[in-house]
Amino acid sequence: MKKIVLLFSMILMLTLAACSAPVEEPGFEAEKINVYTRDTSSGTRDGFMRGIGFADASADDSVLVAGFITADNNAIMSAMATDKSGVGYVSLSSVNNTIKALKFEGVEANEANVLNDTYKLKRPFVFMRRVDGDYVNDTEYQLTLAFIAYVASNDGADVIANAGATATAGTGTWASQVANFPVCASDNSAVTLKFGGSDSVQKIAEALSAAFSPACGNVKTENDHTGSSDGFKRVQGGEKDGVNYKHIGYSSRFFRDAELSGPETTRTQMAWDAIVAIVHKDNPVTDLTGEQLTKIYKGEYTLWGDVITD
Amino acid sequence: MVKRKVRLSEILLNSSVFLSTTLSALALGLIFFYVIREGTTLLNWELFTGNYHSRNYIAEFQDEQLQNYDMPDLSKVENVYPVDRFGIVLQEDIDLAGNGVVRVYYVHPDSPFNKMISKEVGTEEVDLDVGMIFQRISYVNHPTSLSRGGAQKFATELSDPQREVYELFFSDLGGGIKGSIITTIYLIFMTLIIAVPFGVLTAIYFNEFAPSNWITKTMRSFIETLTGVPSIIYGLLGITVFVPLTVRFTPAVNSNLIAGALTLSVIILPTIIRTTEESLRVVPDDHRAASLALGANKTQTTFKVVLPQASPGIITATFLGIGRVIGESAALIFVLGAAIKDTVNIYEPSTSLAVHIWSMMTDEPANIALSSTIAILILAIVLVINLSVKIGVKLLTRKGM
Amino acid sequence: MKGTRTSLSQIDTIVGSLLMILALVASSFIVIIAAFITIRGILPFITDNNGLGSVNVLQFLTDTVWLRGTTFLSTAYGAGFVIINTLYIAFLTVLMSFPIGVLTALFIAKVAPRPIAATMRTIIELLASIPSIVFGLVGVGLFLPVIYGIARSMGYSSGGGSSVIATVFVLSLMSIPTITAVAEVSIRQVDESLEQASLALGASPTQTRFKITLLAAKSGIFSGAILAVGRSLGEATAVALVSGNARSGPSFGLFETTATITSTLLQGLKETNGIDYDIRFSLGILLMVVILTTNLGLNFIKRKVGNVHG
Repeated sequence: MKKIVLLFSMILMLTLAACSAPVEEPGFEAEKINVYTRDTSSGTRDGFMRGIGFADASADDSVLVAGFITADNNAIMSAMATDKSGVGYVSLSSVNNTIKALKFEGVEANEANVLNDTYKLKRPFVFMRRVDGDYVNDTEYQLTLAFIAYVASNDGADVIANAGATATAGTGTWASQVANFPVCASDNSAVTLKFGGSDSVQKIAEALSAAFSPACGNVKTENDHTGSSDGFKRVQGGEKDGVNYKHIGYSSRFFRDAELSGPETTRTQMAWDAIVAIVHKDNPVTDLTGEQLTKIYKGEYTLWGDVITD
Repeated sequence: MVKRKVRLSEILLNSSVFLSTTLSALALGLIFFYVIREGTTLLNWELFTGNYHSRNYIAEFQDEQLQNYDMPDLSKVENVYPVDRFGIVLQEDIDLAGNGVVRVYYVHPDSPFNKMISKEVGTEEVDLDVGMIFQRISYVNHPTSLSRGGAQKFATELSDPQREVYELFFSDLGGGIKGSIITTIYLIFMTLIIAVPFGVLTAIYFNEFAPSNWITKTMRSFIETLTGVPSIIYGLLGITVFVPLTVRFTPAVNSNLIAGALTLSVIILPTIIRTTEESLRVVPDDHRAASLALGANKTQTTFKVVLPQASPGIITATFLGIGRVIGESAALIFVLGAAIKDTVNIYEPSTSLAVHIWSMMTDEPANIALSSTIAILILAIVLVINLSVKIGVKLLTRKGM
Repeated sequence: MKGTRTSLSQIDTIVGSLLMILALVASSFIVIIAAFITIRGILPFITDNNGLGSVNVLQFLTDTVWLRGTTFLSTAYGAGFVIINTLYIAFLTVLMSFPIGVLTALFIAKVAPRPIAATMRTIIELLASIPSIVFGLVGVGLFLPVIYGIARSMGYSSGGGSSVIATVFVLSLMSIPTITAVAEVSIRQVDESLEQASLALGASPTQTRFKITLLAAKSGIFSGAILAVGRSLGEATAVALVSGNARSGPSFGLFETTATITSTLLQGLKETNGIDYDIRFSLGILLMVVILTTNLGLNFIKRKVGNVHG
């Protein structure tokens, strides 16, 4: 019995010893940087890594600093509220006063700076529709075109802003344009428009669907978001005629070269999503450059002192 | 009696027993305490009957005849913001899922928000009801008021006499779990319809008909092995076997409730077989012999004499099955998907209560309040099922004695 | 219905055969499961995965990074660290829940007066019937912040609390009722004359309970532990919520994030085809093999131990 107890306590001590290195108080310079990241399927991660100039890490964990922490948006937010030595990144729309949002290359993250293109750490929200002639009937085609016009209208821009992104367009009120789309004057409640693609766009896409429906004959909408790569696959790619076909496929990155087979007119950018590097409120750092962030995520900078004295 | 010298080791051993027991009891208490503390804020009837997806409305004022409205006394209510010029009161509130919304707290009977012109096809008039939520209001030549800014900002902008209201966008309250409750009920019934007869008949075979040889033994051990298979593996079974099968033979085109029920049936099958068999085994052999002696064949004896006596066991098995269906998450995430639906169709994907929790917990941000509320519902059902099985067994054994 | 004796026995034969078919179907499910998952799971290793090249079996079994290279473009998967994590977590879980579970069983079976024992039994049964997703929810809401705080105060950093220890706590809560239920039955089956003999020889009730009763019931107690190990290895949703879903490892430190076979299986489910989806079935095989070998191994030990002490 004693031997067993001894064995157990030895195992426990070994496991404790294997823990990550203790954080030294009090000097913040000596504080180890805890790196938080989204997983490789996340569009936010792709946008962040490309934005800071570390594109290799957008879908590859092995190039990141050892001991990084994978967490979702919310987990990163709550971690930054508690973890004094952490650094992470979230969408601008998630930022609140529980954490500290860092400037990027000296530019503050806000809507004006995103639209005038001075704030560079951002990703586009884009979508593509099925190509002309690839619709079950003309009604679905007309409704799809009407939806695209709605998204570009002031109404669409308001919906996008209300859902937390920065809309790129605002072509006048929908009421002034609806006459161009006679399909919206009839009852469309028997038709279902299907939306898919990026799940980071899901909240905005659902809000757009819900707002568009009463504006265009109560057309039924179905949002099924499974990831950016499905945005192309299920609209113009290999699965476009499968059971999961969609009319509109969203993506939270610009479409890749391999996805540009359809005509240019089928693709639209509707919004920007600014990504913000965030830290704990007590962290003295206020501004990081892409290079500094890259070094932090690579593991070349491991202590907060590395960026403070940089 | 000799006074025993109480040794230190004895005290330690005894206290370790009490400590362990306390910890076990504490675990249950902690779970209930936490779930109830977090979940009660959202717990209301509206949540259970409400739609998840809200219906949106677009309207404009018929005429903006402004007058002075006598407003209700708001001194005792928090987070409400009156808009005197339109006779409405807005409230900073949360929807059923716990997200912040601008909610309508009061509408004066003469307010222009009553009898607005609907801008939708097919409807002419629409009223703003108490409890609805504002998405946004657009003005002529002014930026739109967005609900994102909160009720106070919304009310201030709407009160601004410079702004002429152009269009109003509002919706009913979303975030309800009606669809998930209905899906769960569908799943329970469909699973039981498949698994109970299947399991009971299999148990009858093993207990009444099967020869005792190595084949029977192997079959039994195969079924017993199913109990050790983790539910996530059943999920893989569902997507490789049952989903393609149902797509082929039913109108379903994708993951669907039938495939979910089939998967759950396999999961609860071993429990039903074992519980039924246990209750068949305790039926005295005299009863079988008596029935056979009276000229009944084995089939008649089994179904008319033995089976009725085993019915308490079958009912217990059914209840245990219900509990498992309600709590199952991993397998259903694969087979049913996690799309939350308001109208449930057995040929389409939708989500059960347990998977609804999973969706809320993996959502951005995780919705602990709503998850806890659903957990309260699940725990209440599981609690009732367990206690009724326990009481039922007790009553039956007492009657049996 | 009245029939002759022969037709009556014919009915029996028909009914018997029909029932046998049902029983055969019921017992074939395990074979179906094993066959289908094995076939799907082997495909990534033997096909070229639409031109990406096949997955290297040896690397898959030993590598310490889940995926080297770009998702959907690379086949360099590695689950070696996941296997180690899974076994390590199961081991720690048993280490924690086994003493608590067995001692609770001893209390219910031997120490407590009847009404308290009955209440305690009900508590254990209720604990056993709580769905795993609820354990996950409580783990996230209750344990993670506490663990984060403790780690911080001890000078360790942890990923918002998602860690080995959080996973072990959640799994222990789920294992205790299994261990207690099985142990209680076997403790009560211990021959009372044994205990009385011990008492008559002058041993105290406590000594008797620990040295005679528990030892005599050890075979059943061990079975409970085996069941608990099985549950820890196979639990998915609760683990996925609190483990932190690390993409590399293995993680031995109690406050490090981790990933088990099941939690890795649950990640990236949103896609419906492609290598990143197919590889989940390979993980399925891995899970079944790990559970099977662990079970066989533990049962072997159980027999050995049983033999030594008669």
